[in-house]
Amino acid sequence: MNRTELIQGNEACALAAVAAGCRFFGGYPITPSTGIAEQMVRLLPDAGGVFVQMEDEIASMAAVIGASLAGSKAMTATSGPGFSLMQEHIGYAVMAEVPCVIVNVMRGGPSTGRPTAPSQGDVMQARWGTHGDHPAVVLAPSSVGEVYELTVRAFNLAERFRTPVIVLYDEIIGHTRESVVLPGSVDVVDRIKPDVEPEQFWPKAPAANGVPPMPAFGDGYRFHVTGLTHDQRGFPTEDSALTGALMTRLNNKVDDHVDEIVQVERFMLDDADVAIFAYGIVGRSAREAVQRARTMGIKAGMIRPLTLWPFPDVQVAAVAEQVDAMIVAEMNLGQLIGEVQRASGGRTEIVGHLRADGEPITPSQLLTELTDRNEAAR
Amino acid sequence: MSRNEIRIAGAGGQGVVTAGRILAEAAILCGRAATHSQAYGPQARGGASRSDVVIDTEAIGFPLADEVDLLVILNSDAYLRYQPELGERGHLIIDGDCAPEHLSRHLCDSNVTKYPVVEKARLLSGGQLVAGIVALGVVQAFANVVDTEALREAVATGVPARHKELNLKALEAGMQLVGGVRA
Amino acid sequence: MTDVKSYLREWAMPHVLCPGCAHGIVLRSFLVAVDDLQLDQNKVALVAGIGCSSRLVGYADFCTLHGTHGRAPAFATGLKLARPELSVVVVTGDGDGLAIGGNHLIHAARRNIDITVILLNNSIYGMTGGQVAPTTPPGAFASTAPGGNTEASFDACKLLIGAGASFVARVLAATPIEMTKLMADGMSHRGFSFIEVISDCPEYFGRYNKAGGGAAMLTGLTLRDEGVAVPLASKRFVNHVPSSAPPPGITTGVLHREDRPVFVGVRKAVDDES
Repeated sequence: MNRTELIQGNEACALAAVAAGCRFFGGYPITPSTGIAEQMVRLLPDAGGVFVQMEDEIASMAAVIGASLAGSKAMTATSGPGFSLMQEHIGYAVMAEVPCVIVNVMRGGPSTGRPTAPSQGDVMQARWGTHGDHPAVVLAPSSVGEVYELTVRAFNLAERFRTPVIVLYDEIIGHTRESVVLPGSVDVVDRIKPDVEPEQFWPKAPAANGVPPMPAFGDGYRFHVTGLTHDQRGFPTEDSALTGALMTRLNNKVDDHVDEIVQVERFMLDDADVAIFAYGIVGRSAREAVQRARTMGIKAGMIRPLTLWPFPDVQVAAVAEQVDAMIVAEMNLGQLIGEVQRASGGRTEIVGHLRADGEPITPSQLLTELTDRNEAAR
Repeated sequence: MSRNEIRIAGAGGQGVVTAGRILAEAAILCGRAATHSQAYGPQARGGASRSDVVIDTEAIGFPLADEVDLLVILNSDAYLRYQPELGERGHLIIDGDCAPEHLSRHLCDSNVTKYPVVEKARLLSGGQLVAGIVALGVVQAFANVVDTEALREAVATGVPARHKELNLKALEAGMQLVGGVRA
Repeated sequence: MTDVKSYLREWAMPHVLCPGCAHGIVLRSFLVAVDDLQLDQNKVALVAGIGCSSRLVGYADFCTLHGTHGRAPAFATGLKLARPELSVVVVTGDGDGLAIGGNHLIHAARRNIDITVILLNNSIYGMTGGQVAPTTPPGAFASTAPGGNTEASFDACKLLIGAGASFVARVLAATPIEMTKLMADGMSHRGFSFIEVISDCPEYFGRYNKAGGGAAMLTGLTLRDEGVAVPLASKRFVNHVPSSAPPPGITTGVLHREDRPVFVGVRKAVDDES
């Protein structure tokens, strides 16, 4: 049965994880993500799961990967500096194709920065933080309710594509309590297990969708897992053809399913001649600014990606085709604006509303941006 | 849209965070949408503390306080830090013990009211822990933002069971403060 | 005699180890120990980091996780907590386990999680070409210590006893029968067990320090007296024994054993609200 509760984003994240089947959490305390760990430690024992506080974020990600290989859905949560430390094993999880969920409650950076201030400074690190060519699936909720929905979705995508999925939100969403309707149950996707005999099993032989079936350690399949470039038997190889094939398959797993993975909210765009591109908490401000602007006769709209990576190229291009200008509002000094420019291909004017001073971008600021442009246009 | 922004600010240990959370819970009990946010900092105890509640009949857009409609201030330090977001048409409720030198300019205004919130809390509990709940009573009697019954229920379930009676008393006392003043 | 071939992935051979390297002896001793204990082959998980020692797990026919440099104890922690019926064994080296992974190793020991760590100590970084390690004896030569090592070195067993490991043993790669016995002992122990194997690296340590080939390095370790191995100190082979230190010796066998609570994850919260 659905129920309405007043909870923080971090609590919603933990509740969603357990509802999605998460049974392992390994983490390390760091502001402003710690609330997730503090909820998981209370929820997991009752759900038959395990919680462990590791010695650092590197170890947290390693433990998560170990648990996932043992058959558990597993998660960790962190912020800024901890996210940097996790990059090593995010790459490992991509290479070894270990499903897992990483939540990064963004705070001001670089370095220790502003631990209690909101930021959107990690959106590029979420894409390119670990070394080498790799796919990335990154989701960005803008409310406590959406934290719940997208955390469930993160687990489902991770299991379906055997890849790490990152949930990115900021300190405001993490700490603010909001009324949310919690669903009585959620749709859950589980990893596909092999249907061949152990003697015939090759751990990296992909099924039709490019994703290899995955048994757990202890299931009776004995196999090797490595972060080295490997062949379909999972064993290290230095063969260039096999290397190329693996790299292509790892990336195509995501690239070939962009339509399935990408989610975008279009708000009042149908007749808009100016659009705000915003995500996460800024999407809330943008929505309100658009509503207020409409009452003033300004034809404003908003495009808000719920999936940051893969980037919604097609959806952004469609908006660029239509509007005279697109205002990219983000709480950093310009990270996704480059992607918007690339996807727009010069079809509209791109304007940045960028802020990295630890303060949120407010509805009034974006409204001013819209009204000023409107004045100038007259 | 009928968006209402309420901020309760004071010192750590005055229970302002709990009070804000309870107000938001009460709003949900009344079928409204609500958000609650608080100031975070590296200090776990002491210092200035604030609790912001946004209540709306519709889904809430921006979840933080932008232009505060009703600001409750329980000490001078909190006044200095958390007054700037008070909206142009907002109202300030201030504790009777607040040092007058910081406030004199505003005390002349018609949109400022003074109540002995902290003193009432001391009388009830011997300390300041229920000051936030007394303030909540003041907010309710003053602005009537949620159903009083829902607020009582939210207080009863929102504090540790052993402190329930004391907090319910504090809520009533806060409401009476306003009744007394208005009479 | 145990047929270790049933525990090997022969299809993955030839292996990457150099002639004279004792790591193969260590793998064999381990496989015999698994056989002696009659462990279910499907329920044994080997976890390794990066380095020559870590490559051993690829050739062993169990569930094998070849992780990242130094992090094997952390991978193993997640694996064991999520699936306690697995026998989890970490295979690591002195650089992997004591330098980059030192923190993970001591915390796994402190938790007393029920895993076994086998640390192959050859006093040098082999995979990357002979760099100085935290176990390289003071004065010994390495590619990054061309004038002789000027740092002090770790005694891995003392470190692990200090960190809280509830079973700590040391053995020489040159004594495979004793090695099998200690490995079986360690794997049977409830809690965190640590076995340091003094192995060799003729290719780098041997060459840089004129310690001879594999056979010479290993036989030098077998001149024993009452459980005390006397290394060829003049050849500066064994860690934490400076060439000038008299009389050189390292203790082998079980160095520490205790019974204490095993970590299986965080307990349910105690509700203090009344």
